[in-house]
Parts: sequence; C-alpha cells; structure tokens
Amino acid sequence: MTNHWRDIKNADLILINGANPAEAHPVGFQWFVRAKLDPTRGPGKGGGAKIVHVDPRFTRTSALADTYLRIRTGTDVAYFGGLINYVLQNNLHHAEYVQHYTNASWLVKDGYGFKDGLFSGYDAAKRTYSTATWGYDADAQGIAKRDMALQNPRSVFQLMKAHYARYTSEMVSSITGIPKDEFLKVAALVGEMGKPDKVMTIVYAVGLTHHTTGVQLIRSGALLQLLLGNMGRPGGGMNAERGHANIQGNTDHAISWEILPGYIAIPAPGEKSLADYVKEKAPKKSDPNSWNYLGTNYKKFMVSLLKAWYGDAATKDNEFAFDYIPKPGGNSSWISFYDDALRGKMDGIILNGMTATSIGPDSTQVLQALAKLKWLVVMDPLPTTSSEFWHAPGMNAADVKTEVFMMPATHWIEKDGSFTNSGRWAQWKDQVIPPQGGARHDHWILADLFNRVKALYQKEGGKFPDPIMHLTMSYKDPLKPELDEIAQEINGRDLTTGKRLATFAALKDDGTTTAGDWIYTGSYPESGNLMKRRDGVQDPKKNDPTGLGFYPNWAWSWPVNRRVLYNRASADLDGNPWDPERAGIRWNGQRWVGDVPDYPPTMNPKDPKAWLPFIMTGEGTGRLFSNTPLDGPFPEHYEPVESPVDNPLHPQNSTNPAAFLYDQAAGRPNRFGTVADYPYIGTTYRLTEHEHYVTQHVEHLVQLQPEAFVEIPDGLAAEKGIKNGDMVRVSSKRGKVEARAMVTKRLGPLDVAGKRVWQIGIPIHWGFVGISAEMHPDKSQHWLANVLTPFVGDATARTPEFKAFLVNLERMG
Amino acid sequence: MAEHFVRPPEWTWYILAYFFFAGLTGGMYAIGAMLRLWGRPGDEAVARTAFLWAFPILVVCPILLTIDLGRPLRFFHMLVATTPGQGGLIFHYWSPMSAGSWALLVYGIFAFVSFLEAAGGRPGGSRLVTTIGGLLGLFVASYTGVLLSVSNQPLWSDTWTLGGLFLASGLSGAAALLAAVARKDAAGAETEARLRVADGYFALIELIWILLLFATLAAAGTLSVALRAPWIVLWLVVVIGLIPPLAALGGRERARRSAALAAVLVLVGVLALRAVIIFSAQG
Amino acid sequence: MPEAVGFFTDSSVCIGCKACEVACKEWNQLPGDAPKFMDSYDNTGSLNDQNWRHVQFIERMDDAPVQTGNGHAWLMLSDVCKHCKHASCMEVCPTGAIVRTEFDTVFIQQDVCNGCRYCISACPFGVIGFSAQTGTVHKCTFCYDRLQNGMTPACAQACPTQSIQFGPLAEMQKRADARLAALHDQGYSQAQLYGRDDAIYGGLNAFFLLMDKPETYGLPNQQNAVLPRRNNKSGYFGMVATALLGAVAAVVAFRDRRMNELGRGNNGAAARRNP
Ligand SMILES: Nc1nc2c(c(=O)[nH]1)N[C@H]1C(S)=C(S)[C@@H](COP(=O)(O)OP(=O)(O)OC[C@H]3O[C@@H](n4cnc5c(=O)[nH]c(N)nc54)[C@H](O)[C@@H]3O)O[C@H]1N2
Ligand SMILES: Nc1nc2c(c(=O)[nH]1)N[C@H]1C(S)=C(S)[C@@H](COP(=O)(O)OP(=O)(O)OC[C@H]3O[C@@H](n4cnc5c(=O)[nH]c(N)nc54)[C@H](O)[C@@H]3O)O[C@H]1N2
Ligand code: SF4
Ligand code: SF4
Ligand code: SF4
Ligand code: SF4
Ligand code: SF4
Ligand SMILES: [Mo]
Repeated sequence: MTNHWRDIKNADLILINGANPAEAHPVGFQWFVRAKLDPTRGPGKGGGAKIVHVDPRFTRTSALADTYLRIRTGTDVAYFGGLINYVLQNNLHHAEYVQHYTNASWLVKDGYGFKDGLFSGYDAAKRTYSTATWGYDADAQGIAKRDMALQNPRSVFQLMKAHYARYTSEMVSSITGIPKDEFLKVAALVGEMGKPDKVMTIVYAVGLTHHTTGVQLIRSGALLQLLLGNMGRPGGGMNAERGHANIQGNTDHAISWEILPGYIAIPAPGEKSLADYVKEKAPKKSDPNSWNYLGTNYKKFMVSLLKAWYGDAATKDNEFAFDYIPKPGGNSSWISFYDDALRGKMDGIILNGMTATSIGPDSTQVLQALAKLKWLVVMDPLPTTSSEFWHAPGMNAADVKTEVFMMPATHWIEKDGSFTNSGRWAQWKDQVIPPQGGARHDHWILADLFNRVKALYQKEGGKFPDPIMHLTMSYKDPLKPELDEIAQEINGRDLTTGKRLATFAALKDDGTTTAGDWIYTGSYPESGNLMKRRDGVQDPKKNDPTGLGFYPNWAWSWPVNRRVLYNRASADLDGNPWDPERAGIRWNGQRWVGDVPDYPPTMNPKDPKAWLPFIMTGEGTGRLFSNTPLDGPFPEHYEPVESPVDNPLHPQNSTNPAAFLYDQAAGRPNRFGTVADYPYIGTTYRLTEHEHYVTQHVEHLVQLQPEAFVEIPDGLAAEKGIKNGDMVRVSSKRGKVEARAMVTKRLGPLDVAGKRVWQIGIPIHWGFVGISAEMHPDKSQHWLANVLTPFVGDATARTPEFKAFLVNLERMG
Repeated sequence: MAEHFVRPPEWTWYILAYFFFAGLTGGMYAIGAMLRLWGRPGDEAVARTAFLWAFPILVVCPILLTIDLGRPLRFFHMLVATTPGQGGLIFHYWSPMSAGSWALLVYGIFAFVSFLEAAGGRPGGSRLVTTIGGLLGLFVASYTGVLLSVSNQPLWSDTWTLGGLFLASGLSGAAALLAAVARKDAAGAETEARLRVADGYFALIELIWILLLFATLAAAGTLSVALRAPWIVLWLVVVIGLIPPLAALGGRERARRSAALAAVLVLVGVLALRAVIIFSAQG
Repeated sequence: MPEAVGFFTDSSVCIGCKACEVACKEWNQLPGDAPKFMDSYDNTGSLNDQNWRHVQFIERMDDAPVQTGNGHAWLMLSDVCKHCKHASCMEVCPTGAIVRTEFDTVFIQQDVCNGCRYCISACPFGVIGFSAQTGTVHKCTFCYDRLQNGMTPACAQACPTQSIQFGPLAEMQKRADARLAALHDQGYSQAQLYGRDDAIYGGLNAFFLLMDKPETYGLPNQQNAVLPRRNNKSGYFGMVATALLGAVAAVVAFRDRRMNELGRGNNGAAARRNP
C-alpha cells in the first residue's frame, strides 16, 4: 500500500477493484466501514464515504457497498481507461498536480508509437518488446525536454489523451459488460475526486494481479490517481491488500527472484562490476530538479547489503564481493520452476510454507513437474497436497520416483518475529505457543542446512565455494539464530562505531555500513526494537495528534516510519496541504511537519532549486508514461488468454502480445481451450471461512465451509436444469472440478461485445488433503480448483491467470 | 396469524406414555371417587377396582418422566431449589410443569392410601381422602394439556383447550377401561351400564373440546399443523375412539356385547389424541 | 449491582465473516456440530446447544449487473439469545435453573438444569438447544465469566465491523437510535430496531438493527412476541369447566335411582347408608 489500513477511513470515495476485503481482509475492512459511517466524508456535501465495488460476483464486500458493478473478469484496464478518458475529456484532472507532480509535461522520443494493439518495438517471434523507443526526448545527460503547457503532441499528456480517447463509455460497456449509464454515474463521482478538498482511494488485490495483464491493471489505477492528484495524500493512494499475514515482509526481503532485499534489482549476466550494475539498474535523473534519491544512493544500499552478508570478505578490492551474488540468466518466477522441472532442468525444490500442488496454476502439470524432481523438501507444520502429492488424484504412486522429505517446521504462532502488514507496518509479535512435537523453526532448519552444505564445501571444495564459505552467520548460536538477532542484522550498523543505524540516510558505499535490507534501516536502532512499540488507541489524543490515524509510535513502518508514501505530493508547490483537513505534511516556514516527510525535512519548497516532489523516481514526478512494464508504457486492454470474445479494440491483437506462454515456449502441446468447447468464464477466489488450503486442518472452519462448491448464476442454472446443491462438473481444457452447485443471483449474465456471457465462481480452498477430504474421500478427488487454471504468466511479473479462463459446466447424473 | 420460530423440545415416546397414563390414573381415581360419593351401594365394588387400578398406573408416571430427563438423577430439582445460595422447596405456580410435579407427588400419596384401603378390602373408605384425591386426580389427568399450551410451540400454544380436552379424554378412557374390567365381577355388571352412560357423556364433552380446539387453531391460522398428513390419520383413530361411547349414549345395546373391543377403541383413541397433539406440533 | 449490559447487533454493517461464531465456540469450548453443507454460505443452520451465535444470510437481490448493497440486498444478521427482560424460557423453567444475573442477562445454571427441555418449547426465538453429552440445555451465557472479569464478550471482541456492539444497555440504545436516524436519512425507511424498546418481551438486552421486517429474519413480530403464561388462566379454566361438566355427567349417570323415586335425593345420605 502507498498508504495504510487505518488511512482508508480518511477517504471520500473508495474504489474496490479486484479485491474482496470483507472476505479476504475482514479486520482491515473495518476502516472502510468507518469511512462509510463518518458523516464528514463523502462526495458532495458528505454524509459518509461512498464505496464502489467492481467485481464479477456480488460478494460480502458488495453487500456493504453503495454501488456494486458486475464486471467481466480481466477487463479493469478498460474500466479504469474509461474513467481516465472521462476525467481527461471533461478536464476534471487536478491541473496543478498533473502539471508539476507527474511526467505529463515530458516529451517522448520519436519512434514511440501504438497501432492496432501493438506498441512500437514488438518482436513477434520472441513475443517480447524492445523498450528502446519507450523513452524521453532527452539530451546527452538524459535530461528530458518538457512542455509545461502540456500542449506538445509528443508530450506524455497529449499521447495519453490520444491513447485513452478510444475508451469511450460505449467501448467500456461493450468490453466490461457494465451498463453505460451506470458507468457514467460512477465516472461522475470519480471525476469529483480531482478537487483538492476531495480524496479517493483505490483498493485492489489479486483480482487485478492474477491476469496476464496484471501489471497494467494496477498501473491503470495508479494513473487515474495521479491525474486526480490523489497520490501521496491521506485518504488516497493505490492500495494493495496483501496476502498472508506477512507477505509484505516477504516481498520486502526479496521473496521474488528478480530483486534483492529492499527492491534493488538482482544483477544480470554481463554486469561485470558494481559500476556496470548501478549504471544498468539505478533510475536515471531526467530533470535538473529531480533528486533521484534511489538512483543516487543505489550503490550505498547494495554495498551495505553485501557488507551485511559477507562482512570482512567484502572489501573494496573485490568490489565488496559483488561477484558472490548470482546473476540469473533466465526467469525464476513461480511458474518457471515448474516449467524448468517439466523440461528436466530441476533436481529438487524446497517448499517452505507453500503448497505447490494446490497453488497451481494447472495443478495437473505442476504434479507432473514434481514427479520429475529427484527430491522434494516440504517444510511445513502440516501435511499439504505437495507433501502428499504422489497419491494425488490421477497420480500413479508407483511411477513417482521423487524422494519427498517432510520437515516439520514451526507454525508462525510457535515463533516470535515480525509481521509486516499491507500498510508496511512492521509489527513484532510474541510466540503464542512453544513448538509442538519435533517441529523446528524454519530459520534453524535453514541454518543447519547451510552449515552442512558449508561443511561439504570445506571437505570437498567445489566450483565457487566463496559465497558459501564467506557468508556471515554472526549469531550467538549459528545453528540457532534468534529472530531478534536477524532483525538487528537487517537494520544494519555503522561498522566504525559498531552502533545500529537510525536511518538509511546514513548508509555509505565505502564499506563502513551494513544493512540487511535498507528500507528496514531504522526499525531497530540503538534505542531498541521499534517494531514492538504499542502507543495506540489507549490514548488517541496523545498517540495520534493529527487524528488521521498515523499513530507514529505504534510499531514501525518502512521507510523511516513514514505512514504515507510520496507524502510531499500531499502539499502544493508552496508546501500548503491540498486539503488542510487532511494534511499529510506541511511546510511551516522552517521545516516540514506532520507525517515523516518524503523530502528533505528543511528544504524550502519555494527555493528554485527545491527538489521535485517524487524523490524516488528519475523524473522527480509520478510516471504516467513508464518503460518499466514489459508490455507497454501505457496500459492497454487485452483479453485474457482464454476469452469468450475477441478484443473489441483490436481483434487482430486480442490477447496480451507479451504474455508468457510457457507451453508454447517450451514446445509442449497447447493446453488452452476455445469458446466452442468451453463457453463459460471461470474465475477463482477466496472465502472468508478459509485461508487457502491450510485451514482444511481446522475443525471450526471446516464446519463453516465444509465442502467444495461452485457458484453458478441463477439464469444459467435454469438453462441447465441445475438446482441448488446438485453435483456439477466444471471442466477446462486442462482438467475438471466436481463439486456442489450453489445457485445464486449474486452472479448473473453479462452483455459484452454484443454477446451474452456467463461467469462461474470457483472457490480455491479444497483439495485431497484435510478434514473435508477425509470426510469425502471419493468426492475430494476432484476438488482442486487449480486443475482448471492456465499455465501462463503476465508479461512483466509472470503472475498466473488464476482469475479468467474458459470452462464448461455440466450437471452430474 | 400466529407465526412461530421456536425449536421443538423433542418430547416423544416417554412423554406420550406419561400423558396417556396420567390421563388414565387421574380419570380412574376421579371416577372411583364419584362412584363412591354419588353412586349406589353396589357401585362400591367397582369404585374399589378403580382405586386398585389408579395407583399402579400412577406409579409408572414418575418413572417415565424421570427417564425422559437429560439428567434423571436430578428429578428432585423439580421440587427442591438447588440454585447455590438458595434452598428449600421450589414451587412455581405459573409453570404447569412445576405445579404438575407437586400435584403428581401429592396425588400419589392419596392414590396410595386409597389403594391400601381398597386392597385391605375395608368397604368404603375415608370420604375426605377420596374427595381430595379425586380433585387431584382430575388435575393430574388434565394439567399435561395446560403444560403444552403454556409454551410457544405451534399448535400447543395456539389454543387453550388442551387442558379440558385431555381431562375429558382421560375420563372417557378411564370409564371405558373400568367398564371393561367391571364386567368381570357380577357385582359390577350393573354398574358397568351406568359407567358406559357416563363414558358417553365424557366422550360428548371430549367431542366439544375437539371442535373448540379446531376452532381456536383455525383462528390462530395453525389448524393445518394439526391436520396435515400424516397426522390426519391419527385424528381418524381419535374419532373412531369416540364412536362406542357415543353409541352407548344413544342406547345402542349391541355395544354392550363388544364392551372389551369398545374399551380398546376408546383407549387407542385416547393415546392417538395425545400422540397427534404431541408429535404434529414438533414434526 | 453492576449496570445492565447490552448487545446492539447492527445488521446493516455485518459482513457475514462469522468471526463471532468462531470466537464464541473457541472461548466457550464448544466443539460445534459435525460439518454439513447446507447449500448456502450458512452452514451453521440455527442456534442450538453448540451454536450460540448464528449468522443468517438472506439473498434478496435480482441478478441485475448493478446493485446497491448497503446491507439490504444481501441481509446478514448475527443472531443470538436476546436476553429478554420477560424471558419465556425463565418463566416456564420448573427448577429455577434459568436466572437473571447481576448484569441483567439471562443465564442457565448447568448444575441446576435437569434437562426437562420445557424452556426449549418456550423460547420464541428457538435459541436453546439440548446437549446429549451434558444432559442439560445450553445457550449464550453472555460470556458471564468474561463479564465477571470485566472483559468484553468474545463475539463482540472479535467482530471486525462493530456490527456487534457491547456496553451499558442505555448507551447501546443511544447508539442504535443514532444509527437508525442516519439510515432513515439515507432513505432506508424499512430499517428498524428490534427489541430496543419494551414492545418485544419488555425489551431485549441483546437487540438488533434490522434492514427488513422481523419475520424476514425469523423473529416474531410484536403481535407474535407473547409469553407462554398467557395460556395459564384459560388452560386451567378448561380444566375446571371439564371437571364440573364431568361431575354433572357423573351425577346424572351414577345417581341412585331409588333415592330419586323417594323424592329429593341425597347422595351423601345414600353413601352414608351404604357403609
Ligand atoms: N479469508 C481469507 N482471507 C485471505 C486469504 C484466504 O485464503 N482466505 N488469502 C490471503 C491472500 S494470500 C491474498 S493474496 C489475499 C487476496 O485477497 P483478494 O484479492 O481480495 O481475494 P480473491 O478472492 O482471490 O479475489 C478478490 C476478488 O477479485 C474478484 N475478481 C476476479 N477477477 C477480477 C477482475 O478481473 N476484476 C475485478 N474487478 N475483480 C475480479 C473476485 O471475484 C474476488 O471477489 O487474501 C488474503 N486474505
Ligand atoms: N486458482 C487460484 N490459485 C491461487 C490463488 C487464487 O486466487 N486462485 N491465490 C494464489 C495466492 S495469492 C497465494 S498467496 C497462494 C496461497 O497458497 P499457499 O501459500 O500455499 O497457501 P497456504 O494454505 O496459506 O499455505 C501456507 C502453508 O504454510 C504453512 N505455514 C504456516 N506458517 C508457517 C511457518 O511459519 N513456517 C512454515 N514453514 N510453514 C508455515 C501452512 O501450514 C500452509 O501449509 O495461492 C495462489 N493460488
Ligand atoms: S485472519 Fe488474521 S490477517 Fe486475516 S484479517 Fe483476520 S486477523 Fe487479519
Ligand atoms: S431469547 Fe429465548 S433463551 Fe434467550 S432469554 Fe429470551 S427466551 Fe430465553
Ligand atoms: S431444561 Fe433445564 S433450564 Fe430448561 S426448563 Fe428444564 S430445567 Fe429449566
Ligand atoms: S456473548 Fe459470549 S456466549 Fe454469548 S454469543 Fe457472544 S461469545 Fe457466545
Ligand atoms: S463478526 Fe461481526 S461482521 Fe462478522 S459475522 Fe459476526 S456480526 Fe457479522
Ligand atoms: Mo496471496
């Protein structure tokens, strides 16, 4: 989240797209309700914030929404596109903000273009783009030309206007299925949010990410927020509701393959030196007044990380052991492991707290991948569909040669440590119960494992032992590190004084500082573990002086306890808040006060040399046009890889041309279905009552949702003679689910591209392991939702398309 | 229109049996008492038979009640206050179950005394005991109906007629049973005739109550609860049970020869009546 | 004597998360019923000895692509024992097992209850359930143990949206009035408070804000919210009436003919002369 949970209560309008907070984030949802019940919030004269929930299904979130719009899954780029177009056509954008706080005025270099659904630089053979033309018209130093009047046809603003002009309300309606008039009503509400004294938040989750257009779906929302001047403001922002209780912490600490802790990039082959690496990866300054804080300090963060990992072995002469860091040539994202395994390029996998088989996509194919491994380690407190994969439905245990090791790990309630929530608040928690049975902590298992590997290298040597031999394990007991010790290591130290640092501003690139994750520097300074702070609602007056819910002494949020990212943008050029009622920070003549400023604390905004507001980007502004996504500098609507209709915008390029088609790339037979055989849209999701698959072991929750079911629109059920509670079969090109039918009017028909389509809802929570499975041994053979989903990834993030695919529906005899 | 959202107490066979026997014992004793008080010298023999039957029938009642409890060993909680800090006896006159428990206990004493007297062969017996016992008998035969009405169950609570209805059918059943057994000894043969006349009147009263029951249920809009299949069948059995006594009233002498059969029909009717009311409201 | 406590359960902000159900089971160590799929989001079914909170789901929208939610298209309500001022269950209980606590809540003493189940037949809301394990009946205790320790009841503690609000009854009523006014301003004329005033059983300590008629949620309307004892007088009248009629019938049937032939009969005398 750019903002945080509690901040949602500050919004006047709440757009929820691709999220179901009442079910997936019930506790966080209280802040939506607070806003709704607060008469000082809301459009017009107020009377309570308005909630607009856009979802293929009417959910428990919709139940409290002021407006629910049924949308065809995978089409929010068009929905947001329509809103953006409406705002631009009617000049409802926040003019001053767009002019000075976004890159609207930047001129784009010749050669950039967009035609028939393709951006310039497309290589059809490789199905990838060259981003060469997606840049600015800049001088040798990279300083870009700007047109502050935003009139130049090559300005980002004019290009954007042209790009979005196609997203008329008629077009939006024919793509999404949302009736035109209803769309325009919502557009009018949204348009009002460009006023400085109004603010809107957009909340999303995996209903946007689980698409082959995932990155662009999310960017669409961000663009709208930039146009309305809602980025950086309390009650505004683009807010991702994250997943597992600590998935935010996972990402911050580089759970995904392409980054190192703190979102600095993993080096690529060819980056032979630190200098190469920084040159390649660090953002570049494209305006004289851009501070480009990240770019400028990139090296400091990297060196401090290397010092944290390799200690004395990281010296100036060996470039601080830069070469110890792997430089992956290929893609190592989630689906890619299984792709590699299928291609026999993978010996083993350690699953640390995840259930590969159930997660999917295309579980049947994932199971085959697991069966091709030599070994599989499952570190988990409980049996999972992976630790038991050899007796998965359709598997012949005899053919499975994979050796499976089950390592009983402690569950997070059996350890202390920190959770970082969606709002970036790192909150220390206590151990609830001691480890049960023979369970060991994950970090102890890994430490032990590392130690044994190291011993082997010691004994037998090896190609390149240094990264292993020199890795620091400076804990009281290297086999049993304490999470508290690790937290200190993450915070980092000044090696000259040995003291822990209070801010990443103190990090250096000369090897005299360490930081296990620079964005967490300051979480555990000399004064102690700030993640343990609990100055909360016991005294709101004292603990929340602004009344906006920052609670600065509750836990600690990265970066440097800032509660709203980009908060310099919450004040105008002179440093006065756009909305005095909801001030993020303000310039009081001497310094910036309020939230922890995202700006030099004493920099006078009126100083002509004052930095531009967005200090982390090379531009110094928010980016309406960006070359980081691999499928286009502007978002464009593409149909899901499996879709019942052709893309009304450009049928010849219907689906995302840069989506990664694993089977095709690997030369495996096609596993996609067509509308002829699979006429309905399937979408998968969560229910309040279960946490994915793990709660299949929890009696009370199994009682609340005891059996796999699929949600079927009343109208379709009538056509098919399906009654509530009947057993039905939902099948895709890849597999089938057999479950109870829940016939409901919460789903219904959609009229898109002149065609009537139906969507079928498939909760993800069941499989062949757990209490319900034991109660229904036969039925549970066909309960894995992910046997239906396609083995395909988003162009940039390679996220699977869990949310939109084609299925057929039959009533079972 | 009465609308109910209550759940059933799951009172089933034990309770049915209890209601049945409570009706009989109470009816028996009351009839015995009335024969003794208002009848002929010749009736005394049958009166004694009534007392001899009333007590054993009564004995099964508390047993049935107790085994129906979730905590049988706590049957005495009905009479003794066991709430910590309290103590002494507990009597909630407004709760028919509380009142009934006491009535059953006290009636039991009287029934026992009269039983001993009758068994001891001493002719006659204390009129006071007989009178009070008779009144208690009437209460025991009847209160079970009131108990059902004092609830929020569909049917039961939609009418106030069950107390009267159960008493009438209890008396009718008791009279029929007594008439049947009276035939055995010569002395009773002549009492029997008048017993069957009495039974006729009781049946008539019962019939009136049944009509009143339907009327009250119709008014409450829950008549369907009582009359829906399969329960309608039981109502037929109830009606059949009414025929012999009513016929006797009409002086049909043929009925005499089949007194035993008549008694069976009546008793089955008594049982069916309670069954249909207990079960149809809960199912 | 502590002040009377109350629950204000506001169905207009309930998200049907069932945290209340689970929190109650966890705190009160209720195993719960065997898992059973009931064709809807509600697989709890009803309040009973195992379920002391039960979240109802009532779908009322058509399948149009645009809906207004606001708590009235898909009704959700966390049902619970109402802790009635005039409690039917308490009224009929023969053992005195059901008592009103110092917090003005209705509580079943497990060591007194003997499992006669009369209260089940009396509770107009179908709250109480019989447990074969304990041989006694159970329902919401209003977390008597937590109240005694100054804690908020588990369900209210767990409720994320303040759909279940707990506090002094008077304060709950104030809040409810304010919330109702707000909803009426927004045009939800069918929104109503249930049991906030004494119209229903003299007032409910656990009262509700409903988005539709009580009947929709399986709650008796004012006319049907009646106490069992209403049938005492009339019931006993039926008893006495029948007793008298029966007696007359007996007199007519049994009366000593000979005595009548001699004129005014005196059964008493007749009886006396036949010792
Ligand atoms: N109870 C519960 N809570 C959870 C979890 C759980 O398993 N159970 N899991 C946690 C995790 S790991 C995560 S990632 C989060 C996920 O949180 P959410 O993303 O909220 O969960 P989902 O149910 O997967 O998807 C949200 C909604 O997106 C809708 N949707 C699908 N496709 C589209 C689309 O194209 N456009 C729009 N507008 N909507 C779409 C679905 O119908 C669904 O209602 O939840 C977390 N919280
Ligand atoms: N079709 C479809 N597929 C999906 C999704 C979807 O929406 N649709 N959602 C996707 C998303 S967003 C996610 S996050 C995944 C979720 O997929 P998973 O993360 O695999 O789901 P969980 O059941 O949460 O698995 C977590 C496991 O971690 C274990 N665990 C808990 N605590 C600890 C611990 O401290 N240490 C260790 N070692 N183990 C622990 C639990 O026992 C459990 O087995 O599913 C993905 N798959
Ligand atoms: S389950 Fe945990 S993380 Fe999810 S909403 Fe509840 S408290 Fe928050
Ligand atoms: S709701 Fe039922 S159980 Fe609760 S107090 Fe009222 S009558 Fe008794
Ligand atoms: S079951 Fe227990 S609580 Fe209910 S009436 Fe009987 S004794 Fe009272
Ligand atoms: S008050 Fe306590 S006992 Fe009653 S429902 Fe809530 S949690 Fe359960
Ligand atoms: S916890 Fe609150 S919101 Fe959730 S179901 Fe219960 S009452 Fe509704
Ligand atoms: Mo997730």
